[in-house]
Amino acid sequence: MTPFRAMRRGYESRMDPVERAVLARVARDVATMVRDETGLPASAPDPDPNDLPTPHTGSTTRVWNKGLLAPDEITDGDLAKLTGISSVGPTPQDPAVRRLLPDASTDDDGVAGEFRRLTQNDLAQEKAERLEAFADLLEPPPSEDDPEPEKAPWQTLGRHGAPPPVRVARESAEAVAGALTDMRLVIAQRLGLESDDDVNTLTDQVMWDQQMGREIPVAADGRAARRFWSGVFVAAGFALETLMEVMIADLRGRPRPPETGAEDA
Amino acid sequence: MIHTLGIDKVGLVTSAAQMPQSAPAATVSAGTATQQETEQDAAHRPADPWVTIVWNDPVNLMSYVTYVFESYFGYPQAKAHTLMMRVHNDGKAVVSSGGRERMEVDVQAMHGFGLWATLQETGGVQGAA
Repeated sequence: MTPFRAMRRGYESRMDPVERAVLARVARDVATMVRDETGLPASAPDPDPNDLPTPHTGSTTRVWNKGLLAPDEITDGDLAKLTGISSVGPTPQDPAVRRLLPDASTDDDGVAGEFRRLTQNDLAQEKAERLEAFADLLEPPPSEDDPEPEKAPWQTLGRHGAPPPVRVARESAEAVAGALTDMRLVIAQRLGLESDDDVNTLTDQVMWDQQMGREIPVAADGRAARRFWSGVFVAAGFALETLMEVMIADLRGRPRPPETGAEDA
Repeated sequence: MIHTLGIDKVGLVTSAAQMPQSAPAATVSAGTATQQETEQDAAHRPADPWVTIVWNDPVNLMSYVTYVFESYFGYPQAKAHTLMMRVHNDGKAVVSSGGRERMEVDVQAMHGFGLWATLQETGGVQGAA
């Protein structure tokens, strides 16, 4: 993974296929956690552009299927969209999701409860959707133009023989930063990171292992899992940190660093 | 809050990344007047009945927190940095003040960014934290 750089069409980083795959998987998993814990419906299949009627399916049937859902297929989320009234989801019990949707008062349950009732659905929806969008950015779903699943767009080589970079449009940069932050918060909770020292020690260990060329073992024991998640935590932190550098530079109107990398189509 | 991961290049599986260093504290050259103003006043005017408080955590990056304070609240760089350092050193900081509904909007925004924030009634008498 290379640091994010400010380019004409957005912020760009080059990531290995395995880095894309792992970060996308974690982003989707965290999105699912958020939805499950807050009672949001599972991610609805994107109606466009990938879900357009194909020559093989009768478009009329699809339209009717989409347009007239049986009542038992309508979720609370659909109803909320229709009526503008959203029911309150459950307070998350998983401490990691609780960290993403924390109490808004330390000493007043009334204030915290009222805040949760007013905001939790919107916040959870925002977080889940931006995590899913980030996953799609890392691993774009197959498009109409290139429907072959074994040739995902990000796997095709660019002009210079390298895969195209991960390109974050400036208008979606805050959403990507938020998604990376939520991923790190969840992993940190799972790893039990509670202090700056915990995080620094873990980062040192990950970097030391990499310096030594130690591969993350495949074995599914707890230690291997911990090393794997530590690596994901550090990688997500690196992506976020370098993204913040270029975002802050843009925000403050500083001249951006020269565009050194090649622009891939 | 974590200052920096101090890494130039990271690979999930293999990498020639350098060892991380504890980065030195960021130096900020703010104007003296601005710094005094922000340190005494922070973001709280005594007449405001509610405040938004951001709490420290070990995960969020200092650069990210500073970005949020500059981008969302529109605070100048020096004030955003001062508030971020206050969160880091004191464990929390008052970042805005006003009516309850306004503070709920701010807290929701902070939670959206992944910062842990709370709102608190001050009764208009308590000074800035």
